[in-house]
Amino acid sequence: MTKLRKIGALVWEILRELSDERAYRRHLERHGRAPSREEWRRFSDERLRARNARPKCC
Amino acid sequence: MKVLRRLFWVAMAVLAAYCLGGIALHRGEHINSTWLVVAAACTYATGYRFYARFIAARVMALNDQRATPAERLRDGHDFEPTNKWIVFGQHFAAIAGPGPLVGPVLAAQFGYLPGTLWIIIGATLGGAVQDFVILFASMRRDGKSLGQMAREEIGRVGGIIALLTVLVIMIILLAVVALVVVNALRDSPWGTFTIAATMPIALLMGIYLRYWRPGKVMECSGLGFLLVMASIAGGRAVAQSPALAPLFTWSAITLAGAIITYGFLASALPVWILLAPRGYLSTFVKLGVVLLLGVAILFVRPDLQLPAFTRFVDGTGPIFAGKVFPFCFITIACGAVSGFHSLISSGTTPKMIAREWHALPVGYGSMVLESFVAVMAMIAAGVLQPGVYFAVNSPAGVVGATPAAAAATISSWGFPVTAADMSALAHNVGEQTLFSRTGGAPSLALGMAHIFSHLGGSAVVGFWYHFAIMFEALFILTILDAGTRVGRFMLQDLAGHAFPKLGRTAWKPGIILTSAAVVGAWGYFLVQGVRDPLGGINSLWPLFGISNQLLAAIALCVATTILLKMHGAKFMWVTCVPLVWLVTATFAAAWQKIFSPAPAIGFLAQAERLEAALAAGHAADPSATRALIFNARLDAAVCAVLLLLVAAILLDSLRVWFGVLRGTREARIAEAPFVLSALRAEEL
Repeated sequence: MTKLRKIGALVWEILRELSDERAYRRHLERHGRAPSREEWRRFSDERLRARNARPKCC
Repeated sequence: MKVLRRLFWVAMAVLAAYCLGGIALHRGEHINSTWLVVAAACTYATGYRFYARFIAARVMALNDQRATPAERLRDGHDFEPTNKWIVFGQHFAAIAGPGPLVGPVLAAQFGYLPGTLWIIIGATLGGAVQDFVILFASMRRDGKSLGQMAREEIGRVGGIIALLTVLVIMIILLAVVALVVVNALRDSPWGTFTIAATMPIALLMGIYLRYWRPGKVMECSGLGFLLVMASIAGGRAVAQSPALAPLFTWSAITLAGAIITYGFLASALPVWILLAPRGYLSTFVKLGVVLLLGVAILFVRPDLQLPAFTRFVDGTGPIFAGKVFPFCFITIACGAVSGFHSLISSGTTPKMIAREWHALPVGYGSMVLESFVAVMAMIAAGVLQPGVYFAVNSPAGVVGATPAAAAATISSWGFPVTAADMSALAHNVGEQTLFSRTGGAPSLALGMAHIFSHLGGSAVVGFWYHFAIMFEALFILTILDAGTRVGRFMLQDLAGHAFPKLGRTAWKPGIILTSAAVVGAWGYFLVQGVRDPLGGINSLWPLFGISNQLLAAIALCVATTILLKMHGAKFMWVTCVPLVWLVTATFAAAWQKIFSPAPAIGFLAQAERLEAALAAGHAADPSATRALIFNARLDAAVCAVLLLLVAAILLDSLRVWFGVLRGTREARIAEAPFVLSALRAEEL
């Protein structure tokens, strides 16, 4: 059961990484800020600009 | 325990060999898909355990004591040590596109065997090795890109060629995937409505994420998914409504115009409005569907209806012309060996790897998983009756424009099908017709719907078909908008050298001009494909396959150069063997596409035949024929340019290799210096 829970937690974390939610948390920790609309905007603008400058695979 | 472990791996290897032998030698009765699944899984496991570990330990000498760029250059943004399975998920999501789904479906025209063997063996010995070595090389060089590594390890010429090749490939890729969507949605009100509905859904998601619930991406994507599922259900009502159906029944050329406009808008608009929410949604849907397909195949275990080989191995195939060698090996690129992966392996991923040994599951493991997706796509194509498969995938220019003529032509090949069968099938999935829906997506959707319907009854087969179409179109459109943007940045980068103002990514006229140039370039090839009487796939997919494999050749040149500088000639075979194979197959295919005297294969022969028809006054529409002649010559020129670019980098690499081997050139590798890792296990 513990193993199953661990796998579930890992899958959840993978989904959070893919959705940038983990990266957002890291951003908040790095800058010592609380989540807010402005902070998300700042983070996502920077993140998406960098991501969309890289080729996507076929 | 050690003996048991050894026995386990011996059993695994024997099972892999037995199943591969089984599918290779099986003739006559239909083979069950379980053989393909077990052959693939056991081969990947054996390859991972022995070959990949050998490369990791002996060739790369991976060392967990050595700090990775994620640790040394940690900035919490790009460089961040991350749990290996999370990096694995991120990397797999980045490399998995429509290629491993569409390529195998098209290559199934040779039968299931050639494509399946190429997918399994190509990935184990070639594709996964390329991804793994490039990931390792980039990781040891502070996460440098393929172009930067080509410049440093081979020379300036290599770097420029890599950049130019990527730009050309992007344009061909975007055109061909757009053509797949156009062919899937033309004259399909259900499909068109569903995809059109994803635009306002993405806009709503963008606003939700920006203003209402900032940062709640998972929640927002869940909402978007529910709305998309509702739009699929609503699509049936639209298709059945006499008032609404005509509004969403679009011809191929109208759809092409709409997609070109969409590509331009998505490239020029702020990312958060459309591109970002659609990207998140598409990633989750993609992973979910791949998982669902895998589980469904394991539960249903369908028999393959396609034979091991078809008569079209001789090069007379209706979907694309050309013999099994070399064309099978360029038709299936992603899923076996894909040059594009080297851009991902030298992009985000090396900046997230926490320990060097994590590169093994991430680089090699992700690629064999993608290869497994390609095997599943082959199974989905193989479960269709061969007559149905060819009726869906063969262009009207080859089999005839009327259902009766097409059915008669396909039946005469030994694959019986009737117009009534096809009409009933189309009715079942809520389409007006399924004849000549070229591009691979509709037949893949049919195969997936066939498998899924075993789990939910045949009453929902129409829903599953449109669910599969939505899934393919959704992430193809994501590639289109993101790819156009990337192409724009590359063009701005190149043009900025001549006109510095154009290089400024925030300058609005520059954005509009370069977006229009990139959209115009792939849009031109898209319209060319739509107007092609042979369906467009015959010319565009091989061009895409050739360019992708040539990029893989560049990546393997870089990888071989690095291995040669590290160990001399001792281990260069690891990347040299796949390189020699790729160069042989791809150069042969490119040469045939340009110079083959058969008009169905060679672009120049095709132009000559059309010119002769024009001169003899046999052309029904002279201006359209002139355009076709120009396009055939343009395709030949693009193919020739790609060949020359890669031949140049190959010669440049050979010059470096001989210099290193003879001792006339310094074998200096551009690795970052060793720094002892201070990363603790609990930080991962």
